[in-house]
Amino acid sequence: MSRKKKRRSLPYKDVELNIMPFIDIFSMLNTFLLFSAVFLSVGVLDVQVPFLSNQPPPDDPKDSRVFQVFVDVTKEQVEIQTSYTRAPEQLQKFPFPSNSDGIKLMHQKLAEIRKQNAGTDKATVTSDDEVTWESLAAVLDGVMLRLEGDPIFPPAKDAKNKERAELDAKIYLYPKIVMGSVMFK
Amino acid sequence: MASVGGGSKDTLSLNLNPMLDIFSILITFLLMSFSSDPVSHDVDAGIELPQSTTIVALDEIPSIIVTKTEVRVNDVKVADIVAGDVPEKDRSQGAVYPVFTELKKLAEANKRLAKTVKADDPTAKGSTGALTMEMDKGHRFKLMKRIMIAAQQAEFVQFKLMVQKELN
Repeated sequence: MSRKKKRRSLPYKDVELNIMPFIDIFSMLNTFLLFSAVFLSVGVLDVQVPFLSNQPPPDDPKDSRVFQVFVDVTKEQVEIQTSYTRAPEQLQKFPFPSNSDGIKLMHQKLAEIRKQNAGTDKATVTSDDEVTWESLAAVLDGVMLRLEGDPIFPPAKDAKNKERAELDAKIYLYPKIVMGSVMFK
Repeated sequence: MASVGGGSKDTLSLNLNPMLDIFSILITFLLMSFSSDPVSHDVDAGIELPQSTTIVALDEIPSIIVTKTEVRVNDVKVADIVAGDVPEKDRSQGAVYPVFTELKKLAEANKRLAKTVKADDPTAKGSTGALTMEMDKGHRFKLMKRIMIAAQQAEFVQFKLMVQKELN
């Protein structure tokens, strides 16, 4: 015996969705998001100025010969200077034009220098008085920050906060930047 | 159904779908640009920041703001800027003297606070911390140096220089 279900077609009913609450929520969400939206993202460049201290230098015997990196910025050019703290000083100078291409080349040279002297994570930047903050920021970018393709250098062994140092190693080429021209007269 | 009343019995229905579409797109865009940075700071209207590729986010409100016309410390105007430099009367040994006096007060307060936080360690010295500086990109290093020297004399040696992150 076959039981056949009789399909009764439901009478067509025009159903309307009330989308007004939906629009209300969207409007509120829009207002809130428009207020909290950040259209200009702000970052920071960490630098330090030289200071006098009466504490002995950490693990730095008097007769040690330390490699040092200087970057001198003028309106016309950016010059990398490398030398040792004790004789033979082996002073070397690498000038680059003060434009975006020159800064790219400077960064490549600094990455090369850092590869050869991985232990030196500090660079001293000196600048002419007439250099604008815009130009200086571009140079600081080139000196401090790692670009894609640059190797990651191991963090300093004496770093107090290991986690922070490891994170910094991924971000920075030279994590310590000293503004060398800031000296009290 | 939205309708317009009146004498006539005709009903007008508003098609809300395009509006919903616009809202959805706007919300998607705004959610994407929603910032999770620790500090949200509106850059002063008179300041243009230099561009940078840094990924380090701003983590505190700037203490020093250098607009095109004035220097402010903690939102208090301390010196004017005339022709890209502070006037002679505000200068002392290469530094901006009013900036030094204001920062000295700030340094003392920071040191006291740091000592209170490390109260259980009697050998702990109070630290002044880092100083965040917002400066217009058109200023010369001469002015930045004057401010940094003033800060250095007030025992601030770490600086966070504000820049505008380049959008990739």
